Amino acid sequence: MSNSTHVARRVSVLGPGLAVLCVLLALIAFLSVTLGSRSIGLPEVLRALGSMDTDGSINSTVTLELRVPRTLLGILVGAALGVAGAILQGVTRNPLADAGIMGINSGAAVFVVFAITVLGVRGAAVYVWFAFAGAIAALVLVYAIASLGREGATPIKLALAGAAVTAGLVSVTTGIVMTNVDALNELRFWQVGSLAGRYAPILTGVAPFLILGLIASLGFGRALNGLALGEDVARGLGQQVTRTRAAAFAVVAVLAGAATAACGPIVFVGLVVPHLARIICGPDYRWILPYSMLLAPIVLLLADVLGRVVAAPDELQVGVVLGVLGAPAFVGIVRYGRLSEV
Amino acid sequence: MRAWRPVLALATLSVVLAGCGSTTTGTPGTTTAAASAAPSGPWSFTDGSGKVVKADKTPTRIIAHAGEAAALMSFGIKPVGIYADESVKTDANLKDLDLTGIEILGQEWGKIDVEKAAALRPDLIVGDWWPAEKAHSGFEEGVDEKSKKLAELAPVVGVSQGKSIVDLAKGYEDLAKSLGADVDAPEIAANKKRFEAAVATFKEAVAGKPGLTVGAMSPADDKLYFANPEYAPELLDFQRWGMKVINPEKPDPGFPYWENLSWENADKYQPDLILFDGRSYKPTSNEEWGKKQPTWFKIKAAKAGAVVAWPAYWLHTYGDFATELEKLTAAVKSADPNIGD
Repeated sequence: MSNSTHVARRVSVLGPGLAVLCVLLALIAFLSVTLGSRSIGLPEVLRALGSMDTDGSINSTVTLELRVPRTLLGILVGAALGVAGAILQGVTRNPLADAGIMGINSGAAVFVVFAITVLGVRGAAVYVWFAFAGAIAALVLVYAIASLGREGATPIKLALAGAAVTAGLVSVTTGIVMTNVDALNELRFWQVGSLAGRYAPILTGVAPFLILGLIASLGFGRALNGLALGEDVARGLGQQVTRTRAAAFAVVAVLAGAATAACGPIVFVGLVVPHLARIICGPDYRWILPYSMLLAPIVLLLADVLGRVVAAPDELQVGVVLGVLGAPAFVGIVRYGRLSEV
Repeated sequence: MRAWRPVLALATLSVVLAGCGSTTTGTPGTTTAAASAAPSGPWSFTDGSGKVVKADKTPTRIIAHAGEAAALMSFGIKPVGIYADESVKTDANLKDLDLTGIEILGQEWGKIDVEKAAALRPDLIVGDWWPAEKAHSGFEEGVDEKSKKLAELAPVVGVSQGKSIVDLAKGYEDLAKSLGADVDAPEIAANKKRFEAAVATFKEAVAGKPGLTVGAMSPADDKLYFANPEYAPELLDFQRWGMKVINPEKPDPGFPYWENLSWENADKYQPDLILFDGRSYKPTSNEEWGKKQPTWFKIKAAKAGAVVAWPAYWLHTYGDFATELEKLTAAVKSADPNIGD
């Protein structure tokens, strides 16, 4: 089979595949608005959606002010985490890369704790901005440390710098939190990773960053394909390796930073979904990126809906559901799937 | 990050169990009179666990946990050392007391400076007995092993944390008496009298509003926690005195202090008056939560502003309980028993 027919077949299968995922995502988004820890009849949900205005009843408030922002946030955050994971895995050529090991979660946590203890601020809507700043600061720090030395930010140095910065930041957070029960309780809410309690202000706050980041990320397919061949080959193909890497990190900082800021550290989506995408698409990042972008919110929203339905009138945080379901799923992929090389 | 979870769970537990957060009034600090009158012994006291603790001489050098120390001090017994679960400046039981001359041995749950404690040569350690955990305050599961060595310095006694704050206060009255306190001295007995009067007016106010239902709640960013009176002794006392405190249908099996409600289900219970967790309550709290959570004002009592602080899980003394009851009585009197219907 010649290369061109191979590519043509890919397009003919993977292209429509994207459309299927879009439909699936729309379907799950619909479920996310209609299902929850409170049972609201479908006609009532539709009426609320139709009028786009709360009639004062709690059912319309729940639909429009709780579930709609939650669902939209789930879509954006899921997409951001999926794509950020895929880019990080590509840039660092590390199959275990995700926002967590690059210091993003721990950086955000440190800043949130700082906000609680030193500045005395409270509430998810304020933490967002501290978490965002912290995530970006941590990622910049990791990148700067890894860039020391002649050969620049190589994959191995990035992994080591990420682990070191994470360890350092976690110990700072733990140190503060252990002596301050109040900070601990506040952090607990943020720490689990949840779509609950996040309403319109948080959505509108982070949405511009996430949307811009998502659009920008789609341009990295070819560059990541080059890097996947190894730095020397990429350079040989005329790529500006350092510049590409820096740009990719900037996009990841915005995507994962804003996502983590909005919902806390959500595990597994950024790690597992790119592997799923790779199994479906093969090694071509021009496909992996959009597939990750659609698969990740599907996974995230499914887990969230599940967490809302199983525990009513309580809810399980999506971070918990993902942890419980994600670990065996990942083991399954590693054990039985064809875990493609990064 | 995951390794934090047990720590977080414990700290939360400690906060809920040990409590923190509101006002204290007029506890007499006269220690010398009581101390000099102390009988020399032999001494014995029946601990919350049922065990009888004996000593040849009446203990005089006491180390006590925060609320328990406040209780003893309200009867004129001044401990030599205190260990608290948070800063003694913010601890609800301690924040308004004069602690000069008392060594502070810990200001964080599970951490007690045993070396400092040993230097005080204590002859008695006082901490509440927790029947569910079968341990005294300061010796529960999760406390530093090093801190637990405090128990080797002296016998540990405490009153059982159970179904009533009145029993708890009475238990510490008995303990103080055994330690030589003159609990009938007028300035000491005043708090008890005030408490008895407060209970009487509370009962009267409640009886005057037969249809009034109340629910105890603690709102949080991700959930609304609805208190289970079974595990909140002061709420059981309120029920005993005629107040209709709503029992939740489905308390969390793993942590039965609360029923956890998602914010979608905030309106599951519609009391006429909300008892708002006093550890986080401020006069502006109701408005703030109304702004923050779209469904908080779907609880009709919240919408109507029928919200009052609930002294959650920390009370130990007649004086504190009297003060809190007076506030509640005022809230009951002005409450509308038809809001939640």
